[in-house]
Amino acid sequence: MKLRAKFKKDGDLRYISHLDLMRTIERAMRRAQIKFSLSKGFNPHPLISFGPALSMGATTHGDYFDVVIEGEIEPERFKRDLNKTLPNGLEIVDCYIVDDKDLLSNKVKEAEYTVDVYLMSHVIDLPDEIKRFLGRDEIFIEKESKSGSKIIDLKNYILDLKMIEAKGSKVTLYVKLKISEGSPGPIYVVKALDDFLGHVFDMEKILVDRRNLILN
Amino acid sequence: MSDLKNKIDDLLMKVNKPARYTGGEINSVIKDVDKVKIRFAFAFPDVYEVGMSHLGLKILYSLMNERDDTYCERVFAPWVDMESLMRERDIPLFSLETKTPLNMFDVIGFTLQYELSYTNILNMLDLSKIPIRSKDRKGYPLIIAGGPCAVNPAPLSDVVDLFVIGDGEEIINEILDLVISCKKDNVPKEELLRRASKIQGVYVPSLYVETYNDDNTIKSIKPIEDGIPAVIKRRIVKDLDKTYHPDKQIVPFINIVHDRIVLEVFRGCTRGCRFCQAGMIYRPVRERSKETLIELADKLIKSTGYEEISLTSLSTCDYSQIESLVYDLIEKYKEIGTGVALPSTRIDAFSVNLLNEIQKVRKTGLTLAPEAGTQRLRDVINKGVTEEDLVNSTKEAFKAGWKSVKLYFMLGLPTETMEDVKGISDLAHLVADVYKDVNGTTRGLKITVSTSTFVPKPFTPFQWYPQDDMESIINKQNYLKELLRGKIFSYNWHEPNMSFLEAVISKGDRKVGQAIIKAWESGCKFDGWDEQFKFDKWMAAFESIGVDPKFYAYKKRDFDEVFPWDIVDVGVKKDYLKRECKKAIEGRLTGDCRLYCTGCGIKDLDEGVVCFET
Ligand code: SF4
Repeated sequence: MKLRAKFKKDGDLRYISHLDLMRTIERAMRRAQIKFSLSKGFNPHPLISFGPALSMGATTHGDYFDVVIEGEIEPERFKRDLNKTLPNGLEIVDCYIVDDKDLLSNKVKEAEYTVDVYLMSHVIDLPDEIKRFLGRDEIFIEKESKSGSKIIDLKNYILDLKMIEAKGSKVTLYVKLKISEGSPGPIYVVKALDDFLGHVFDMEKILVDRRNLILN
Repeated sequence: MSDLKNKIDDLLMKVNKPARYTGGEINSVIKDVDKVKIRFAFAFPDVYEVGMSHLGLKILYSLMNERDDTYCERVFAPWVDMESLMRERDIPLFSLETKTPLNMFDVIGFTLQYELSYTNILNMLDLSKIPIRSKDRKGYPLIIAGGPCAVNPAPLSDVVDLFVIGDGEEIINEILDLVISCKKDNVPKEELLRRASKIQGVYVPSLYVETYNDDNTIKSIKPIEDGIPAVIKRRIVKDLDKTYHPDKQIVPFINIVHDRIVLEVFRGCTRGCRFCQAGMIYRPVRERSKETLIELADKLIKSTGYEEISLTSLSTCDYSQIESLVYDLIEKYKEIGTGVALPSTRIDAFSVNLLNEIQKVRKTGLTLAPEAGTQRLRDVINKGVTEEDLVNSTKEAFKAGWKSVKLYFMLGLPTETMEDVKGISDLAHLVADVYKDVNGTTRGLKITVSTSTFVPKPFTPFQWYPQDDMESIINKQNYLKELLRGKIFSYNWHEPNMSFLEAVISKGDRKVGQAIIKAWESGCKFDGWDEQFKFDKWMAAFESIGVDPKFYAYKKRDFDEVFPWDIVDVGVKKDYLKRECKKAIEGRLTGDCRLYCTGCGIKDLDEGVVCFET
């Protein structure tokens, strides 16, 4: 049977990579004595698949993974048992059974983020500036990938961008992005906005939280 | 404290592998610091990934934290990126568990695994705002050190307050008790040290003086006052089966060097390889019973969730019930995908059936260590392995589908000639022929040959022997590079100047200690890391204090010479080592002492020391 688990990852666990996260969950399942299926071949690994990788330093409150279980387990029990063995900072918030053919990678289409940034100099009307930023016909940026960097139009990916709060120099932005192969993360949006505003953000101090992955 | 945590948080996105500095791993211990009587920082003078792989840390961390009155936390050497940010922002070195600055601990215990990490110890003290010399440390934490390199405590004598010689778990409770009672009664540090020096296995360097002859050899090492022991007897765990082994182990988030469960099956070695310090200083062999091991394995697998369990010792295939232990473990855990690994394989003892079993769960590489290229030289070092062993075992392995082999050798062993060096390449080619015999072709085959440079170590039969000079080692390495051409071979070698420095420090006296301090002052740290190693600075440091490093590495020693480490009695007698040294030169073998005792003297060290009996 196949389970889909929604999880959150925050605190110091934001400093671990996607690979570290996968290993951590695998080992937690072993500690919880949850029998997951193993792949065939030389170094058998558990049949777990994750949604789009979260960048190092980001937290999440709505990511998912799928896992194939040997035999049967109540989703509620899976959640309860696993939460007992996960390290602080990782928690399963929801879990349900999905069809074996249901692939997480086909389901994830959009993602919502909040991003905390710190202003180094005053901006008169940030919400208005953001509107002007989004009002452009295209927003070209250079995106790094494994095969070098390429130019893409950010506008194709931004579904929503707004300011939700400003407290002193700390500003919280809401970003909603389209997810597809090679799509840019929210950091690119912040960087482009920062360029547009003439470098007002402290780019060394940004906290990204993925609020939710939206499955269709 | 939380203020420091915030300051640290601000750095983490700017450094490589921030999880090195966060803590919070499964099975790490969080205690209420107000409820303990003593705070101990276990300090490993290398990066997190190296330190966390170390068995001694796992044992002592758990053992100390089982005491209600003690809190043991961890600290590692920050990598250079983190260090420079910490210095820039005036952040002191801190413990992982509670982010407490190190100078607020009662005791800081360093483990000495490798001579080229000594400058990191100085650097870690300095980052903690603690003076590096013990004489300047009134009112600061007690600095203690143990581990294999402590058998020659001389080079760190000005730095460390107290050395522990031998098995740490045997002695640590006595030291903690003493520190707690001294803390309660406000006993000054000098008095604490004097009392500590009476515990067997403790060496307090400030209570001894080292004097020299005109030719720079040691004249004597003597206590400065009455009632202080003239030699420090090593502490030995007598019954390993009843001795503490943790049933939990911290599970790091990031990949560490040995990222698996470590289960120690026995301690010691009976083979008597003449270059091997561990084989001499960890005698006698003490085994855990199979039942104990399986019970521990069970608990460790449940508490960690690891996918691999490694059976460790100096030569695991020598464990008396190795086959049935491995079969039982594999049977028990294969359905949850947890495999078994044997880290060091001796080609004579290795059973291909066993490896076949192991690789059903998890594919492991085939690693063999003939150490020398010719039978003559293998006889000199007492490595009881023949060409036939190598042929037989690789043949079986290739039949079973293995395609890659790693072969380990040493260059510069006593009496080595170019003929012996060529023998290394000959063996590699022989293995290639074996593969061809089995598979009809050499396609797919990968043979990795690695050579390290022989370092004559204290308490080995070769301690009187000089190290081969760097020029000659480089020639030999170049010769091997020539001989090991072609796609199937790859050749790795060790930096000869690092091995030179390792020889100097491991055989060093207190004067070498002055050079270590100088080298650190001129910017040396992480000397075991190629990209950080600054050989020129080291040489300048020796020069500035007027000490010739070649004297320590290259001098052939007389049998009656006094060594800096003669202050320590590890149990294996000097007479035995001399006998072995002479036999080496004659190329005569000494048998495995499981078959009959070859009289190393360990049994006389202490009451209750017994050797493995079949
Ligand atoms: S006393 Fe004999 S049996 Fe024991 S370790 Fe020494 S040589 Fe081996």
